[in-house]
Amino acid sequence: MKAVCWMGKSKIETLKVPDPVILNPHDAILRVTRTAICGSDLHLFDGFIPTMEQGDILGHEFMGIVEDVGRDVKNLKPGDRVVVPFTIACGQCEFCHKGLWSACDNTNPNAHLMETAYGYSGSGLFGYSHMMGGYAGGQAQYVRVPFANIGPLKIESYLPDEKVLFLTDIFPTGYMAAENAQIAEGDTVAVWGCGPVGQFAIASAFMLGAGRVIAVDRIPERLELARSLGAITVDYTEQDVSVLQAMRDLTGGMGPDSCIDAVGLEAHSNQLQGVYDKVKTMLMLETDRPIVLRQAIQAVRKGGTLSVPGVYGGLLDKVPFGAAFGKGITMKMGQTHMHKYMKPLLERIEKGQIDPSYIISHRITLEEAPHMYEVWRDKKEKVTKIVIDPWAEKAA
Amino acid sequence: MAEILRTDARTALHERPGAEQSESRTLGANVVEDGRYMAPPTDEDGKQWVRTSVLIKGEPRDLYGLWHNVEDAPLWQEQIASVTRTGEKTSHWTMQSATGTLEWDSEIMSDEPGHRITWRSIGGDSENAGEVVFEAAPGGRGTYVTVLQEFRMGKLASTFETLTGRNPKQAVIENLRHFKALAETGEIPRTHGQPHGPRGAAGTVKSAAYAENVAQPPGLERMAS
Repeated sequence: MKAVCWMGKSKIETLKVPDPVILNPHDAILRVTRTAICGSDLHLFDGFIPTMEQGDILGHEFMGIVEDVGRDVKNLKPGDRVVVPFTIACGQCEFCHKGLWSACDNTNPNAHLMETAYGYSGSGLFGYSHMMGGYAGGQAQYVRVPFANIGPLKIESYLPDEKVLFLTDIFPTGYMAAENAQIAEGDTVAVWGCGPVGQFAIASAFMLGAGRVIAVDRIPERLELARSLGAITVDYTEQDVSVLQAMRDLTGGMGPDSCIDAVGLEAHSNQLQGVYDKVKTMLMLETDRPIVLRQAIQAVRKGGTLSVPGVYGGLLDKVPFGAAFGKGITMKMGQTHMHKYMKPLLERIEKGQIDPSYIISHRITLEEAPHMYEVWRDKKEKVTKIVIDPWAEKAA
Repeated sequence: MAEILRTDARTALHERPGAEQSESRTLGANVVEDGRYMAPPTDEDGKQWVRTSVLIKGEPRDLYGLWHNVEDAPLWQEQIASVTRTGEKTSHWTMQSATGTLEWDSEIMSDEPGHRITWRSIGGDSENAGEVVFEAAPGGRGTYVTVLQEFRMGKLASTFETLTGRNPKQAVIENLRHFKALAETGEIPRTHGQPHGPRGAAGTVKSAAYAENVAQPPGLERMAS
């Protein structure tokens, strides 16, 4: 089959590789019908995530048709159309029982690598480094799905792939961010970052009753999408714009009830020796990133909530914890508990409450993927979201 | 080895609705004795110790049974090729690594059904002893399984470390992790055998550094094949 492979920093190639096979009783093999490039994949491309290995198949956002199932998968059969959550969960451990699916104890074969860095390991992820499990990803024609008895969501209604594909990661991730923001009816919610996750956080904040949403970014097409949802946008690169001033001006001087950091400081980990220094260096180079967390802590109202769907990996310097304590704020964060959100969000799509495909800007083939990683990284061609048809020969 | 019950404890706290009922027993693998946390034994005199613990959704009795069935150990213990019962309390173990085979005999020293097993090697390439304790977790949340393992560093240790990228301490931790996965889900998470592009020299070195060259135990797949 053809698959998008990570071959080193800034080096991605579409290659012929063997087809996946069933390895465990709860496995399924899917014929991938649609997959997407996630913003977080760009950090693999840029070489910031440790424990990638040459030859790794990328991709954690995908859906497809079941080709084959292992002997203990009773809920799926060949021909079923499914969306697959990017986190892998066993469904049986204490964490899965608590609904903390992304903290699953049993799906990361390389848990010891994460334990070194974080104390405990989270669940395995598709196509996202060996410390996250080393599972082959879904930017390919076929993919193996472990614990297919638990994760994949069957799509039985007639809805095109593009409308349900983002249940694989970014829609639930944006939704959980809004849920973590503890929004009460009429609240004002500020969202930093209007990429795909930020978009769905904005949409979800409105769904959960927000009276006003303030969206912060610098990229015109993203800000335009945010306004199309009803948000008030703040372009922090405009002359004379101070984000903190804007937050006060837009909330009667009180500050937003909730702040959502959908930017994060991805791609860092204290996993390997010396990463601390690398992180410090990055903090100075990529100045906008730590600034979001600091700004959000500073901006949120007294007793408000800070929700962080943006990924942080390592150690941060100069986080204003005194401000967080002084105002008595609540902070909630973490990888998305996918399995909890997929079904209710599918119902919202089926009822026509939202069409997640509105963020798609590019539809491409597997062969075009390596080039499009570059295009998106360089913020060219007004990319908002790239979707891949792994079986298309030429771009549609 | 006496069981200590804190029935005579004087306390100012008269309500502990979620607290555990029984006190733990004074055993080598015990984490708590008489209300005090007990640190694991420290390495000395050429002996190395590792103590590790997991919460498993399941009953102590069932987990004890799975552990006690030593002939199934190759399903979940890394690089154990076979275990053969040689007597009521003895078994013969064969470990297969990339370049060598280690063999030893093992004897069960004490056996408390549903609660505890201790064992030691009685000759062969490995000098080790161990204990596993199964006890109900507070709040009815499952079973705490605690393993205490002792090694004398010899051929076993050096072979393990140089050939597998796993030192024996980590192997004990990984094996308990595999045991938990098998007990809770019926399989052990697996990535060996999935497709990938060419690894190149750097990829191969990394893979070894992450101990990915250690064969992943088969779980119940072996039974099926």
